[in-house]
Amino acid sequence: MPASDDRPERAGVRGGEGQRARAKERRVGPWLFRALVYGFLLVMAIYVLFPFAWMLSTALKTESEALAIPPTWIPRTPTLDSVIGIWVRKNFALYFFNSTVVSLATALLSVFFGSLAGYGFSRFRFPGRQFLMGFFLATQMLPGVLLVGPYFKMLNAVGLYDTRTGLVIAFLTICLPFATWTMKGFIDGVPVEMDEAALVDGCNRLSVFFRVILPVLGPAMVASILFAFLLAWGDLLWALCLTTSEGMITVTLGIARTVGEFRIIWPMLMAGSLLGGLPAILLYLFLQRFLVAGLTAGALKD
Amino acid sequence: MRRRHILGLVLVTAISVAALVAAFPVGAQQRVILRFSDWHLTEDVWNKSLTEGIAIFEKRFPHIKVQTEPVSYREKETKYTVESAAGKAPDVMHLHAFSLPAFYEKGYALDLTPFIEKEGKGFLDAWYPLPLELVKYKGRVHAMPGDYMTMVLVCNTDMVNAAGVSPEKFPATWEGFLDFAKKATKPGQQWGLGMVGAKDPGFSLRFSPFLWTFGGDYLTADLKRSALDTPEAKEAFAYFVELSSNHKVVPPGATSANPQDVRTQLAHKKIACEIGSGWTAPIVNKINPDLRAFEVLRAYPLPVKKKRATAIWLSSWIIGPNTKHPNEAWELMKFITSKEMELKWFKDNRVTSSRKDVSGVAPEILNDKFAKVIAAELPYGKVEPQIREWPEIMDVFTGAVQEALTGAKTADRALADAHSRINAILARRR
Amino acid sequence: MCLSVATARSTSIRTGYLFVLPALLLLLAVLGFPALWSLGLSFRAEGRDGFSLEQYRLLLEDSLFHQTFWNTGLLVGLSVAAHLGLGLAVALPLNLPLRGQATLRLVALLPWVVPDVVAGIIWKWLYNPLNGALNDVLVRLGLLTTPLDWLGAGHLPLVSVILANVWRGFPFVMLILLAGLQAIPRERYEAASIDGANALQRFRHITLPGLRKMLVVSLALDTVWEVRRFGLIQAMTQGGPGNLTEVLSTLVYKQYFAFFRFEYASAIAVVMAAVLLIVSLPYIRMISQEE
Repeated sequence: MPASDDRPERAGVRGGEGQRARAKERRVGPWLFRALVYGFLLVMAIYVLFPFAWMLSTALKTESEALAIPPTWIPRTPTLDSVIGIWVRKNFALYFFNSTVVSLATALLSVFFGSLAGYGFSRFRFPGRQFLMGFFLATQMLPGVLLVGPYFKMLNAVGLYDTRTGLVIAFLTICLPFATWTMKGFIDGVPVEMDEAALVDGCNRLSVFFRVILPVLGPAMVASILFAFLLAWGDLLWALCLTTSEGMITVTLGIARTVGEFRIIWPMLMAGSLLGGLPAILLYLFLQRFLVAGLTAGALKD
Repeated sequence: MRRRHILGLVLVTAISVAALVAAFPVGAQQRVILRFSDWHLTEDVWNKSLTEGIAIFEKRFPHIKVQTEPVSYREKETKYTVESAAGKAPDVMHLHAFSLPAFYEKGYALDLTPFIEKEGKGFLDAWYPLPLELVKYKGRVHAMPGDYMTMVLVCNTDMVNAAGVSPEKFPATWEGFLDFAKKATKPGQQWGLGMVGAKDPGFSLRFSPFLWTFGGDYLTADLKRSALDTPEAKEAFAYFVELSSNHKVVPPGATSANPQDVRTQLAHKKIACEIGSGWTAPIVNKINPDLRAFEVLRAYPLPVKKKRATAIWLSSWIIGPNTKHPNEAWELMKFITSKEMELKWFKDNRVTSSRKDVSGVAPEILNDKFAKVIAAELPYGKVEPQIREWPEIMDVFTGAVQEALTGAKTADRALADAHSRINAILARRR
Repeated sequence: MCLSVATARSTSIRTGYLFVLPALLLLLAVLGFPALWSLGLSFRAEGRDGFSLEQYRLLLEDSLFHQTFWNTGLLVGLSVAAHLGLGLAVALPLNLPLRGQATLRLVALLPWVVPDVVAGIIWKWLYNPLNGALNDVLVRLGLLTTPLDWLGAGHLPLVSVILANVWRGFPFVMLILLAGLQAIPRERYEAASIDGANALQRFRHITLPGLRKMLVVSLALDTVWEVRRFGLIQAMTQGGPGNLTEVLSTLVYKQYFAFFRFEYASAIAVVMAAVLLIVSLPYIRMISQEE
């Protein structure tokens, strides 16, 4: 796979030259190469979107049409009943609130502490560093199924059972090591000269971290924030066991409840799943500006 | 600046007052709050029915407030286990019969014997003997029986007619049934029987009747060894598997089909018959109202090879062992399983009761096209062995059925492997 | 002012610890008790107090455990390989200034927003031989004559589970690798172009080495995550048909919540964690080693 090599040469081009360069950056490589790339991306898009097409079609069907044999693709009697039903008949507004609070808190906390630790691991050579890196990864190796029992007892003992705070603490144990590893890997790629330049200018390490490193961590942060957000959003087991009252129900738990003993309410399940994905998509759209096209020389010189 | 101070002061006062009010509810009467959990609370029709029932209960016992905690069907054991292990289970929980032995043994179900003794002699006489046996552990009652139904064959009479068989003279033997199923099958379009082959709690309910009517059983009478090496068991197993592999009278995909998939097939005329019970017609009607399920469907006793038998569905109620209000919890449980309420559950949800004075006498049940067949089969009903290892044994057994259905192993080989693995599981117990 | 060179070293060790400390304390506080509790439980015979190796002995004899162990290796190995392959193959073009780049990036991320339990439920339905959308489309397009039993025929369930798992899992790897690509300073490409390196050479000598750290990170994290992955397989096959798709995480769940063998489930989890740790040692060394 030939790759990310024909980079736009935005730096240093001005005026008319820039116009031509920008025209050029839309044309990546020879036409055959472009055709192949677009062809491949098209196949990827079909693979990715196929289940979504089915979810959307089902969400707009009546419950009986959803189970028709053979299946229909364009709903015969399209209805917004399920889309409305999850807000009216089920308490999805509340579930969205709970999930959003829990997921955002998990994402922000884990990314903040994770990038601090990642910076520590990347820039300092202290004894036990390798052991601690291993320890952070090792915390992920016990299956969640086994942790949930002890978590319940601990949260209960400190009065955090059935609270959003309790859930955030539980999710942090997964997201924090993840963020640390991702940040460490990313910071390794950030030239050390950047730190040194700032240190020479008289900054202490903490302000180097906040003023120099944090601003260029964008792409890795997008990955870590999304990971933490989606993990907390999509978890079923812990939300199921660590909360119990209706006021604490998360979206995924609400979706799981449409799978009953005697019937699966497919249109509602699909409507819930599609709408349940929206906050993450909005979050990504907000974050995507940090997915820049590579570290620029400017970051080094400033 | 000053304004902010005042605002803060007001806020602090408001919060303290709110906290005080919350901590000491107005009025001397302390209301007892009971936590009540049931998977039915997540289902529209049942939820309505239960909510109405609870409203009646709260009116009769004004000092008790019932707080409902819905849990989805699949996740209930998981949730109850974690909560029970931490001593924080709901006060009243609804369970399947097959989870009971494990819950008894782990101490997750309160001993109800003292309450029953207090109710006076003969309190339990209203129930059928079999369910009463299942709620006992080491001679003590730890649960109260709820729904009680037998599995029957539910067929689409239009398709039965179309296959050239009169719905009045439906085959009563498995040989006869196979003939019918072949006639009712049009390859690639419709099939004689819907088959549940997924790892699902509904599997054993729909497989056991085959084994038992052929005269076989899962375990020996003392429950210490596997009985899957008997000729009867082999014959039943082979018959079941060959319905799919040789005769192809069941639709493809049996190993991942759960009861709901099979009901969908019935609703869309893809299969002529399935093994179901009282819940089948209402759900099928919901899946496809055009079928006119209540008119077209009909219930039959299961075909027989050696002896008449069927599987029993039983649900039951337990009280959490750490409940702070055992007396109130018992009142709630007594109310839920009362004659009055059991009849309401039937009327609303078409489940027959484990109370003789409901299922055996209520005209509503005896005149119902489906319920009367189900109630008539109760004397032939049988339950799976009530031992703690049962879920594990069933998992092994379902795996064997799947291996035979997919052709990964021959039927004989799969059954023989299951036999030895089940013996190994039982050996661990000794 | 800048610190003097002499004090810099000792201070820098302390500063390093300080950066790592908050995260470390949080992890120890929350995970310490559960980890020790599980470890202790695994050294206990059922229904008896006191130390016992009973569970580990049972584990050695349990053929289901052995099969599950290799199943896990196979499923995780193939899934992770596919995640990395597809993730890289998609990340590379999505780092190019293509028309529609932003939309395509969003599309590639979409499966990730579906909770994995829900993804399992949906894919199971797509695979249904009677009313599944996948068979329906393939038959309509003439690619199949009769519907396939995706979750029931021969070894096909393995492929079907992996196909669903790759769908749900590759966006995560793709995004990490995209972040990695963006950390490669642009000047290196410019310098190489001036030196006359062609596209393939630049990929081999700049992109791959620059991406190495993030490849290792995503390999390690994805492996650990795939071994833990539970909801998707549980919702699709529950380990069936037979035990074809049974993996350690579904086995632990089953032993714990369906069979109520808490001690045995803990022993399986401890072995699983130990094996994972051994497997990931090279990655830990690679990621923490100096340039």
